[in-house]
Amino acid sequence: MSKPRVRRATVAAATVVGLATAVSAGCGSDSDASSEGGVTTLTFAASTFGDPGRGPQLQEWIDEFNASQDEIRVEAASVPYPTFGQTVLTQMGGGEGPDLVRFDMPEFEAASDAGLIAPLDDLIDVDQYELLEQPDRFMVHDDVRHGIIFEASNYAMFYNADLIPEPPTTYEDFFATAQSLTSGDVFGLAFRQTEAEEAGVWQDIFNYVYGFGGAWSDGENLTINAPENLEGLQAYKDLYDANVIPRGADAATFRRMFAEGKVAMELNNGGYATHLRAESPDLNFSAAPIPFPVRSQGAILAPIVINEASEAKEEAATFIEWALQEENQVALQEILGASSVATATERSPESLQEMPFLTTFDELTESSLPQVVLGFEAQTPDIRKIVVQNVIAALQGEVDLQTALDDAQEQATELVG
Amino acid sequence: MSRLRLGLTLRIVAVLVVMGVAVFPLYWMFVTALSSNSDLFASEARLLPDFTQFGVFADALAEGETLTWLRNSLVIALGTTALSIGLGIPLGYALSRFSFRGKALTTVALLLTQMLPEALMVVPLFALFNRFDLLDTLSGLILANAAFVLPIVALILKGAIDGIPRELEEAGRVDGARPLTMLVRINVPLIGPSIAAAAVIAFFHAWNEYVFAVTFIYAPEMQPASVGIASFIGEVGTPVQTVMAVAFMFTLPAVAFYLFAQKYVVAGMTAGAVKG
Amino acid sequence: MTVLEQTRAPRSDVRPRRSPLGSRWTPYLFLAPAAVFIGLFQAVPLAQEIYLSFTRTSLLNPTRSTWVGLENYAHIFSDDDFHRTLVTTLIYVVACVIGSVGAGLLVALLLNRNFRGRGVARALVTVPWAAPGIAVALIATWMLNPQYGIVNRFLDAVGLGVPGGAILDSSTYALPAILVTTVWQLFPLTSVVLLSALQAVPRDLTEAATMDGAGRWWTFRAVTWQVIKPTVGLLALLMTIWSIRRFELIWLMTKGGPVGSTETLVIDLYAQAFDSKQLGTAAAIGMVGVVISLIVIAGSRLVTRAADKEGLR
Repeated sequence: MSKPRVRRATVAAATVVGLATAVSAGCGSDSDASSEGGVTTLTFAASTFGDPGRGPQLQEWIDEFNASQDEIRVEAASVPYPTFGQTVLTQMGGGEGPDLVRFDMPEFEAASDAGLIAPLDDLIDVDQYELLEQPDRFMVHDDVRHGIIFEASNYAMFYNADLIPEPPTTYEDFFATAQSLTSGDVFGLAFRQTEAEEAGVWQDIFNYVYGFGGAWSDGENLTINAPENLEGLQAYKDLYDANVIPRGADAATFRRMFAEGKVAMELNNGGYATHLRAESPDLNFSAAPIPFPVRSQGAILAPIVINEASEAKEEAATFIEWALQEENQVALQEILGASSVATATERSPESLQEMPFLTTFDELTESSLPQVVLGFEAQTPDIRKIVVQNVIAALQGEVDLQTALDDAQEQATELVG
Repeated sequence: MSRLRLGLTLRIVAVLVVMGVAVFPLYWMFVTALSSNSDLFASEARLLPDFTQFGVFADALAEGETLTWLRNSLVIALGTTALSIGLGIPLGYALSRFSFRGKALTTVALLLTQMLPEALMVVPLFALFNRFDLLDTLSGLILANAAFVLPIVALILKGAIDGIPRELEEAGRVDGARPLTMLVRINVPLIGPSIAAAAVIAFFHAWNEYVFAVTFIYAPEMQPASVGIASFIGEVGTPVQTVMAVAFMFTLPAVAFYLFAQKYVVAGMTAGAVKG
Repeated sequence: MTVLEQTRAPRSDVRPRRSPLGSRWTPYLFLAPAAVFIGLFQAVPLAQEIYLSFTRTSLLNPTRSTWVGLENYAHIFSDDDFHRTLVTTLIYVVACVIGSVGAGLLVALLLNRNFRGRGVARALVTVPWAAPGIAVALIATWMLNPQYGIVNRFLDAVGLGVPGGAILDSSTYALPAILVTTVWQLFPLTSVVLLSALQAVPRDLTEAATMDGAGRWWTFRAVTWQVIKPTVGLLALLMTIWSIRRFELIWLMTKGGPVGSTETLVIDLYAQAFDSKQLGTAAAIGMVGVVISLIVIAGSRLVTRAADKEGLR
């Protein structure tokens, strides 16, 4: 029979597969939370590591931790901001992923609701730290703590002080200022308005809704098409229609324009201040509260959490505890600038002198709300998608705003069941 | 006579326009990388590169992990190429030279895999990779990419082997050579151009792949360039020049490799996919 | 090289056990490594996706699924947005195929002449195909930037400017812009392949036709087209399949927006899976895409077969 031939062909086939495997295996592998020589390596994923103004400083801050430890090493993993939620949630849903994650609120809520985040109560004794109350209450769900504030950043109005000596204090004033400064290639205002920046549009319209007395829910039911929301979003749309913003520009572009003096005003969170200082030291800018009828605005809350699937939760907790130590909080605060951290820290005289408006941000903490739908926290990403799509349809003139909000209300209500 | 000259002029203009259209975006990438902020955001475009800004390339290489990214991309691309060619040659040979039960089905199955979007397969593959400890490894990406590009590689090679006269194998048959020997000694040397074409396709596929890479890799030192570039797109700002500089360095090796392999690609694509 | 020949060959062989190409198991041995590999990394995940399409499954907890039967399919087919997605996909695919094959053919005809620098021209023209999709999306987005993009500056200069310049932000112009970018990346491949197919066109025949006073168009249709027709068909098939699954370019440029105007099946699938975290719905959308591609392939085989028969007559 053809036995020898068969064997030889088998050997050949095996060789091909073997070669292929060898090629692949030769490329090295690096598994998560690996222990080598007694050192546990943790991965800490955040989108902010990629920020030119803050990434390198955050890396140095983490290096401080690594220098203080013999057995734990934290590696910063910069996950691209546009795909951060998708990437990290896929990994965590699959029982894998980084050990430590800096989330934004919507993804934090979705992940903790799905049980992907380790409860911290037994890992960290929070009572020994003086955590800032307002932001911290969003870290606890039904008495279970899922995160610690890594960064909390209130929204305010940034303005170019060369173009605007006195910041507007009413919405009418704000609109008029934006209009009068728009000419040629200079725009009075900028905000996000493209679907490619869904999360950003959500952050931006949040200020208009809350600043006009609206809310996405009353805690029990969705109120997307409430009259106050319509008023606030109409203001947003009026500014869009008035052509006082660079239409179609993404945040990266219009922030660069702000730095170049081609955009006069922008509603943004405090994290932006350090970024601007680092990138454009000569820019004369300042910040003031958003001049909308109601003093209520969004805040970026970014918790640091431990992945439930991590094999090194204790070590990860060690890092968080290190981060909560006073001198490290101060250092982090200095890096993050106008953002605040988990605990109350004293701002240094140097940074206050450099950025006197920092106190403005601190005063806004009480009136700032995380950009989630209260009562529907875990569904925020889905509601966000529906709302943003409908609002953009109204911007594009496909439907009027009232209809868009009614549609959004209907779709979102159906979604949350 | 003048009509002839007009035709010729038109043709030359058309060729120049096509060349310009083809190359301009890459040129613009280069110009953008080499622009100062004030030029980039000026009301008039600067059409020529500002070579005083050349430091952006050095900075991108020195500060960022650009070299690591490019190295990872290269490893992934070469590994994918080797694996898919290694498996594709016997598969193409089987499809070309034998008739067997399930052959038609195999061909349809191969074509079918060409339509599966990566986005569809990410989640099940993630679970699979998790089980085999392939997450966060370059080998995992090589396996995933090779699985996606192997069918087209095999079809190209099948077409090429179809083109080799069977008579050439007759001689081997008389000598009693085994099929594998005949494949390696007779067919492989003759389909060199097609192997090169298939290799280029496999290489590009892996060099460019983004969806798997962004999901299966989380250790920074394992990221390929496709993911690395995207990581510059920040929440507060994107450094346009740096992104373009890295994108240019990411594009250049692929273009160079392509220009080098071009004549084989043309010959191979023609012999393989087209006649096949 | 017909199937018939091959099946008969072993029987007519003098030494049936030592058939010319080995035993009847031999093909499977050549096939096995690739089959195992493709089976593991393509068939198994595909089977899982088929299963998922009949379940409600969250991305956040993919191991826990609830069987819902045809609910996902019923849901997507009753959704107006999905109908728009299908139409957008159709427009995108058809325009990509016509654009890339058409532009490729024009360029191939243009370069299929002897002139000085032809080699350089051919090499440069094929460069876009080698550029990575991510890099293309980045530079295209920058070139289309409403305020500082070179495209708007050019369009404004020739008086064709889009109001506000927001091309990718307009539900009218976003899809055409993505199409142009796609065709820019694809035409090199089609032109290279068509250029080599044109080499097979007998020159004396076209020359004779021209001598006889036949028009260029007539010569093209009667001679050139007949030779390159199979190549055009194959390219069209390849472009169709690749366009149905194209992802990065669209995702990075518009994410399917604005108002869904650039949302193709794959973009919808990705958004369902990773934004809405509905793996079941995403899988169902994926299956619709696979079925459409299968129909396209089956259709193209029928057309080819019919054409072959016609050719024989």
